[in-house]
Amino acid sequence: MSDRVQKLAQLQDLELMIREVQDPASKEQEEALGFSVGGLEQLEKAREKLIKQIPGQDLRVYWRIRRRYERAVVPILNRICLGCFQELPTSRTRAFTDSDPLPTCESCGRVLYWL
Amino acid sequence: MTAEEVLSYFSPDRFINGLRARSKDGVLSEMSRILAEDDDIRDPGLLLEMIRRRESLGSTGLGKGVAIPHGRSTAATQTKVVFAVSRRGIDFDAMDNEVCRIFFLIVAPYEDNKQEYLPLLGKIVEMVNREDVREKMFAVECFDEFQEVVRGALGE
Ligand SMILES: [Zn+2]
Repeated sequence: MSDRVQKLAQLQDLELMIREVQDPASKEQEEALGFSVGGLEQLEKAREKLIKQIPGQDLRVYWRIRRRYERAVVPILNRICLGCFQELPTSRTRAFTDSDPLPTCESCGRVLYWL
Repeated sequence: MTAEEVLSYFSPDRFINGLRARSKDGVLSEMSRILAEDDDIRDPGLLLEMIRRRESLGSTGLGKGVAIPHGRSTAATQTKVVFAVSRRGIDFDAMDNEVCRIFFLIVAPYEDNKQEYLPLLGKIVEMVNREDVREKMFAVECFDEFQEVVRGALGE
C-alpha cells in the first residue's frame, strides 16, 4: 500500500464522516438507535492536520476527481476498478514508487487503491 | 431483514469467543485484525483509524454491556460484522459506565449502494435491546450457538 494513496483514502473516509455528522437525517438515524454523535469541530481539525501531510499535487488530483465523482479513491477487486467497473489492462501492476504520479484508472480517472 | 440475511454478514472466521484485549483500544485493534484476513478488507490500518475516529464522536458502548463500533470506509468492499465476547468485561466509556462484554464491529463500504448498513445496524440494536438475547449471546461458545441465538431473536 502506497503511503500517498493511503493518505488520500484516509482523507476520503474522514470527509465522509464529516458529511455524516453534518447530515441531520444520518445523525438522527444513529441517535434513534441510541448512539451519540458529536464532535464535528474535532473532525474538521483532524482534516486540516491530515491535509498538511498530503503533497499538494496529490491534493489537487483528489479535489479535481471529487468535483466529478462522489468517490475519488476506489479499491480494485480482481483487477476491476470499483469506481467504473472496467477491467484494468494486464500491464498494470502494483509497483508504485513515491516519485511516480498517483495510480489512476485509465477509464474513469479515479485514484486506484490497490487491494 | 430476516435472520438469515443478518447472519450473512457474520462468519465463523469473524467470531471471537473470549477477547484477549483488556482495553477499549485493544478491543478495536483485536477485532479489526480479524478483518485483515478477509479478502474484502485488506487494509485494517485504515479501518482501525476510521473506527477510532468514530469512537471519538461518542462511545458506541450503548450500555447494558454491549458495544457496537461501526462505520464506512474506503478499505471495505463488502459489509462485514465481527462478533466478540469478553469474559472479563472492558471499560468502553459506555453511556451507563458499565463494562462491555458483547461487541459487534460493523464495517461497510464507502458507497453503501445496497443500503444495507443502517438496516443491519438497526437489527443488531433491536436484538441486543432484549435482556434474554444479551444473556444468551454472552453465553455462546461457538458460532453455531450464536446463529441459533440470532434465529431465535429474529423469530425463525
Ligand atoms: Zn475506473
